[in-house]
Amino acid sequence: MPPPLLRIENLCVEFGPSHARSRVIDQLWVEIARGETLVLVGESGSGKSLTALSVVRLLPSAAHIVGGRVYLNEQDIFALPAHAMSAIRGRRIGFVFQEPQVALNPVMTIGDQVGEVLTCHLGLRGRARRTRVLDALAAVGIDNPEQRAREYPHQFSGGMKQRALIAIALAAEPDLLIADEPTTALDVTLQAQILTLLQTEQRRRGMGMLLITHDLGVAWQVADRVAVMQAGRLVESAPRQAFYAAPAHPYSQQLFAALPRLAASARPPVAATEAPLLEVQGLSVRFPRRWGWWRGTPDNLHAVEGASLSIRRGETLALVGESGSGKTSMGRAILRLLPLAAGRVVFQGQDLAQLAPAALRLQRRHLQMVFQDPYAAMNPRLQIGEILQEGLIAQQLGGGPAERAARVAALLSQVGLLPAHALRYPHEFSGGQRQRICIARALALAPALLVCDEPTSALDVSVQAQILALLEELQQRLGLAYLFITHNLGVVARVAHRVAVMHRGVIVEEGTVNQVLFAPRHPYTQSLLAAVPRLDVRTP
Amino acid sequence: MPTLVPLWSDVCLWLLVLVGLWYARQARRHEPLRAPWRAVRRGPMALAAACVLLVYLAIALLDSVHLERTTRPADGAETAILSVLDVLLTPLRLGVETSYSAPFATRAFSQESVLTSAGRVQREYPRLRYGAAHSAESQGARARDIFQRSATGAVAGLALALSALWLALPAALGRTDRAARAAGLTLLALGVGGGVLLALATRYHVFGTDKVGSDVFYQALKSVRTGLLIGTLTTLVALPLALVLGVAAGYFRGFTDDLVQYFYTTLSAIPGVLLVAASALLLDAYMTRHAEAFTSLLARADLRLLALCGILGITSWTSLCRLLRAEALKLREMDFVHAARALGARSGQILRQHLVPNVMHIVIITTVLDFSSLVLAEAALTYLDIGVDPSMDSWGNMINAARLELAREPLVWWSLAAALSSMFGLVLAANIFADAVRDAFDPRQREFGLTPSAPTARVCE
Amino acid sequence: MSAYLIRRLLYALPIVLGVNLLTFVLFFVVNTPDDMARMQLGERRVTAQAVALWKAERGYDRPLFWDASRSGVDQLTDTLFFTSSQRLFSFDFGRSDAGRDIGADLRQRMWPSLAIAVPVLLVELALALTWALLMAWLRGSALDVWSAIVCVAMMSCSGLFYIIGGQWLMAKLWHLVPISGYGEGLAALHFLVLPVLVGVLASLGANVRWYRALFAEELAKDYVRMAHAKGLSEPRVMFGHVLRNALIPILTGVVVLLPSLFLGALITEAFFAIPGLGSYTIEALQAQDFAIVRAMVYLGSLLYIAGLLLTDLSYVLVDPRVRLA
Repeated sequence: MPPPLLRIENLCVEFGPSHARSRVIDQLWVEIARGETLVLVGESGSGKSLTALSVVRLLPSAAHIVGGRVYLNEQDIFALPAHAMSAIRGRRIGFVFQEPQVALNPVMTIGDQVGEVLTCHLGLRGRARRTRVLDALAAVGIDNPEQRAREYPHQFSGGMKQRALIAIALAAEPDLLIADEPTTALDVTLQAQILTLLQTEQRRRGMGMLLITHDLGVAWQVADRVAVMQAGRLVESAPRQAFYAAPAHPYSQQLFAALPRLAASARPPVAATEAPLLEVQGLSVRFPRRWGWWRGTPDNLHAVEGASLSIRRGETLALVGESGSGKTSMGRAILRLLPLAAGRVVFQGQDLAQLAPAALRLQRRHLQMVFQDPYAAMNPRLQIGEILQEGLIAQQLGGGPAERAARVAALLSQVGLLPAHALRYPHEFSGGQRQRICIARALALAPALLVCDEPTSALDVSVQAQILALLEELQQRLGLAYLFITHNLGVVARVAHRVAVMHRGVIVEEGTVNQVLFAPRHPYTQSLLAAVPRLDVRTP
Repeated sequence: MPTLVPLWSDVCLWLLVLVGLWYARQARRHEPLRAPWRAVRRGPMALAAACVLLVYLAIALLDSVHLERTTRPADGAETAILSVLDVLLTPLRLGVETSYSAPFATRAFSQESVLTSAGRVQREYPRLRYGAAHSAESQGARARDIFQRSATGAVAGLALALSALWLALPAALGRTDRAARAAGLTLLALGVGGGVLLALATRYHVFGTDKVGSDVFYQALKSVRTGLLIGTLTTLVALPLALVLGVAAGYFRGFTDDLVQYFYTTLSAIPGVLLVAASALLLDAYMTRHAEAFTSLLARADLRLLALCGILGITSWTSLCRLLRAEALKLREMDFVHAARALGARSGQILRQHLVPNVMHIVIITTVLDFSSLVLAEAALTYLDIGVDPSMDSWGNMINAARLELAREPLVWWSLAAALSSMFGLVLAANIFADAVRDAFDPRQREFGLTPSAPTARVCE
Repeated sequence: MSAYLIRRLLYALPIVLGVNLLTFVLFFVVNTPDDMARMQLGERRVTAQAVALWKAERGYDRPLFWDASRSGVDQLTDTLFFTSSQRLFSFDFGRSDAGRDIGADLRQRMWPSLAIAVPVLLVELALALTWALLMAWLRGSALDVWSAIVCVAMMSCSGLFYIIGGQWLMAKLWHLVPISGYGEGLAALHFLVLPVLVGVLASLGANVRWYRALFAEELAKDYVRMAHAKGLSEPRVMFGHVLRNALIPILTGVVVLLPSLFLGALITEAFFAIPGLGSYTIEALQAQDFAIVRAMVYLGSLLYIAGLLLTDLSYVLVDPRVRLA
């Protein structure tokens, strides 16, 4: 058996200041063979990114390697002096970072950023370098490389930036490619393209690849072998087929169980007995790019154009679309958190778009919102109790302090938290708990409709499932209607009665879950569905 | 019977102390406020600097309780307004010589015509009336006396500092970590230094005397209050303006924003020193025209100080306002503000509950950062005759007076040295403390465009 | 681009108007021409006649904002506010209260001011950049730590300390340069050394710290980690990536100061007896010459606005992300 390309032996990493260190990677053993793709799967905080950074010795200054060895081609790279390590980075190990938006130097042309690697490692200059740069850009699917090489990162879209990053990583023909969540920041259609690109380049060059992801779907698509990390430890490592057929470790099984998947919806449609709770007609939202008379003529960005939808009492409508499709603007415009350019928002027979500020303030109690990022959705300087009472005070509903406190306690237990939590501050809670608090805040006013804007996408997979279950339970108990905004088609089948698909500010398709997911009519919906990484395996 | 006569600036300073205490109480209760202060407290340098600042503050506060006392010289009653510090330092205050004398000198710095016992007029260096009056004039005797007094003072200061430490430290700091040790050492050093200085100052002019013969050490101590007042009261003027306008502009945007932006761009377009100068000129003209309203020299100087703080506040609120507006623009798009609007909260409530608390760290950082540059600016402005009243004790006035004597041979250096070093002590401590505060409140530093530059001082250089 | 420039200039107009109004209120409404006349002519032995004459000589006998006795447009135009604003806008600064031609004075006295301010700026920039870059490069080393301490100490010294200390040390003790004064042509060089040195020292500490903070901010960014992951050497990362990005705020920070260099340094010029605009302003302040102070305020705000405009333009030159529209 040939020696492995990369061998990580007993790696231990600690994090934090000297007096409060914690072990974040504990006795990790990993091997990658030449031409093999190993996918390291784990939830946030499992130590998977730090593993990748350890291999190239670029850990943040708070992290320290306290034990272990890393061998690249049987060469101990922890023992190398700094300059020799520089010769390995970029040349023997290419690295693709998670955030293409910030990983590129904003004031340097793309061509120079690729060329730098060639000059540094291969000594190429002038025309030779230029040709190689253009080749590298063309290889990752960047059209018109002559021109794009002269452009700056801000002129590139997210997907293009990620391609440029891959071009940089591959420019010097490395033996090993490390990709840290290379598709997380991208939409599902782009995600599929980038994964395909990585896979073909890996096969073509015969490189080893270490890909890090939290997404089992991504792992399924590219892996030869899958390794699962939990809290700094490797809990399972197996060939792809074996792993997906029968994950051995309980934690892996838990990950699978929490996985939302495209399946036929089991939820019966809500009967159309009465008038819809909410009816949106011809809604348009435009953002002026500048405002003020001296800043030039208004130049509007059309976020939503003439969108219509309706929701019945107790029904969930999923609004699906990629980032920038206008779905979030739509949700906020319905609540009139954004100014409407045109359209009607008829809620319980009243057009919210026409309401005066005072009347609108009173109506607001019936429509509430749950935000994507539970870390940003709560004022860090208020206690949970104060946060939950805010609506009661604003709407003068709560009665006296004692009644409000009782209401807060009831709300907290309703979302599965303890009444004692009312005296704590947001930072003391985990992401999932915070999202529960945000849901409780929305419920405080006993609304009829909840607009949930990607409520689970900032959370780990296992926590996502819990939040979805909570929402489902609340719907059944309180008869809530949801407008569920998401980019994740996997979630849709689980929560929704009906689906609307949004593309570039327009609703292109609407129907029941089973219609849209299994018999899509619009080409965009079809491409969206085609791009979803499929796990054609059964849950054990 | 002494009665309390509060000056306007006294009232303002004590009001600020009250606000500070109230804030401390709030900070103790609310975890999000307490956490950064705990981080400040963990830094040895920061805690040591805070100790130095507290000593300066104590001096200023003692100097900010003014009493009317009826003194009874031989020929009848006379009333005088004195601060507690004046009363405590009576020997320094009253030990006025005729003119310059060097530190620890027994004789005056310059020759005077003296009538000798033989009835002839002779030029000689006259013996000082107060400085070292008690001791024999020989070098050895004086050195011995100085050593003895320093030793007594050091022991007394040490004892005082130790007892203060023993009483205060375990309670206030909880445990004996590195920071607490640093603070303890600083306090001990301050205690010993202060003890020695005070023990000597009762019998010697430790920093010499100035042109009219008054004690320079006493002046330096009195200047502390002026410096501190300018550094803090200015904030009192600038803060509400910047906070209200900046946050409102950022939150409401649109017309409000345009108006506020126009307002502060226009104001900051005018060179700060010139605005201060123009206002000072106008104030002078006003006071000359209404001379009858300003009878007491003290009240006049006090009002001029307040006016200076006011005008400095008006020139310095714009930069803070700009920062707060930018932050409010960011905050208004935060989800928790959207959530509050969705709950039907009124704008006033959103501003009060969500925006203002979340920009307070910027306010705190700029306040402490600006403090030192304002103290330095006082000296520069006073030099330009547009600072505090010439009758007021201030570092600027001390430097200004000493500057005229720079050409003298040998050099009269002690006034300058005393003013510059006491100012340096305050500003250095403030700068170190400000650094710690910024690191604690804004770990990512320059996230809000805060820079360690000193705009007020820069204009004056 | 030109459309942008025109719009910015239009935007500057109301600001200039605002400044003008503000200074007018300060100098003519709060402190009326009568007060000025009395102050200039001496408080005691002044007659109403002399005041009237003094005012008439300067055209200060018009009403402030509104002349009800005239008709039509003249009601607005034949007022003190209108005529004095009109003169300022056409850069006709008129005569000082003491009778000197302000415009000529300005033209003559700006050169000595520039002779100090420009070298200070350049030397300062070079020194501070080098020092801060060294600190960032050797971050965490003894040099970095001690430099930070030295910088805080330097910042904590009053500017007056540098001036007085410099004069005493270099002129009095070592006799290297004259204490103060100014000469024509090359002779000026001799007089300029000390003021320039003092000017550099006085703000060096603060600037080094600021630049160091900018470098630290850039060093923490992801593209720097990316540059390391490419295998670039430390010098290449520092110069090719970090310096290039940090220079953007540094350069634009310098550009905003450029126009106001004309105004000179008040205290330095006064201490060293340099006949620049700084000492001109101080002399005017001491002589309570409102006409000069008003002209300087107006000039200062114009230069500030010019600085803002230049900053915007310089962003376009150094930062590819910024486009003017």
